[in-house]
Amino acid sequence: MTEQLMLKQALTLLLEKIINKALSLNINDNTELNGLNNKCLTLNLAELNFPLSFIVYQQQILVNSLAENSDCTITTSLKTLKDLQKNQQLTELIKQDKLDINGDIKLAQQFANIAQNLSIDWQSELAKHMGDIATYKLGRVAKTLANKFDFFKNQVQADSSEYIVHEQKLVVTKHQLNDFYQQVTQVSVKTDTLMQRLDALTKK
Amino acid sequence: MSAPEQQNNQDNSTHFGYKTVDKSEKASMVAGVFHSVAKQYDIMNDLMSFGVHRLWKRFTIDASGVRPGNKVLDLAGGTGDLTAKFSKLVGKEGKVILADINSSMLNVGRDKLRDKGLVQNIEYVQANAEYLPFEDNTFDIITIAFGLRNVTDKDKALASMYRVLKPGGRLLVLEFSKPEHELLNKAYDFYSFNILPKMGELVAKDGDSYQYLAESIRMHPDQETLKEMMNNAGFEQTSYHNLTGGVVALHKGYKF
Repeated sequence: MTEQLMLKQALTLLLEKIINKALSLNINDNTELNGLNNKCLTLNLAELNFPLSFIVYQQQILVNSLAENSDCTITTSLKTLKDLQKNQQLTELIKQDKLDINGDIKLAQQFANIAQNLSIDWQSELAKHMGDIATYKLGRVAKTLANKFDFFKNQVQADSSEYIVHEQKLVVTKHQLNDFYQQVTQVSVKTDTLMQRLDALTKK
Repeated sequence: MSAPEQQNNQDNSTHFGYKTVDKSEKASMVAGVFHSVAKQYDIMNDLMSFGVHRLWKRFTIDASGVRPGNKVLDLAGGTGDLTAKFSKLVGKEGKVILADINSSMLNVGRDKLRDKGLVQNIEYVQANAEYLPFEDNTFDIITIAFGLRNVTDKDKALASMYRVLKPGGRLLVLEFSKPEHELLNKAYDFYSFNILPKMGELVAKDGDSYQYLAESIRMHPDQETLKEMMNNAGFEQTSYHNLTGGVVALHKGYKF
């Protein structure tokens, strides 16, 4: 069914369009692509059951799901890719078996450089379609919203960590719970003994 | 040889849509259709298929297993959608031949690809699929997308493709086929005979050509028949994938 709906092809088509549009809007130059002509980087993501191959053709990147001619194959998950972006902890992730690289590691670094080098001037792109004034106003609104969102996010994070710290003091610990169970058992034993004595006295 | 083809071979007649015509006439009649629609072909493809033809073609490329250095024949290649992709994937060492029987389609395809800067590894050949002007065992991959149903003698064309394929090479036939579900079949019929010709009239100013398109799809062999025809031509490990509920099928066969 998935094959009939061609989800794989739809995803590669969409990715190819987005990547090449981003490259065409990049305010930095894409000179790094020149040295990579016909090179192929393949990503095997745990979340997908097919590979994603990125092939450099002149100043463009083609995306398909053919993995046979790859110069470098990276096997990982989307989450690990995010971690990699944040912390640059390549060696650590390889040691933890969260990331596997086969082939030319330099190629992977060059692709990463291209991605890091991407910078799009959204305001001037929008201004081409909406005009300068509307873009400026939209930019201000977006900036205000982004600031508010950041504030809200930070506030929620601070509140929740504070809540956790204070509430933690009130929460029954495992040790206390075990003590309580022990005391209940002792009381239970004592009541049983008392019942036996009462039974014996009543019989007399 | 398929039953209808066999019968047509005996009485020297064939189909042109729902009409039965003399075999010698079909090629020129089909040529007339494509001379007429060539300039609007890409726009009409997008409109008629709602852009899904791009995914069908992408599926074909993925199924081809193309490698750098391969020699590919894009038969009935028309405006060169598959050629453009193959050209990028086979690289400098490879070669793609865009072949079409129709000069108008070939001209539109050549202009489009040159405008995209695709020149280094593409050649253009005006050729009839039944009599391919290439040496035996020349190509690693042959594709024919939405072209086989317009060929007068399909068996002869398949045999010709088999001849020019290298041993180990593969043929991929992307073509309209028979929808798997009756409800989809009815909706597809309604769309093909009521909406498609009107769209053709409105956009390409040529309703008749799109009426022919709808009729030629219905007259084209279904999935199993085409598979059998490929087997008869000598192809091995033949298989097909239904796409979009069988509206389109991709047949694949190897020459060993």
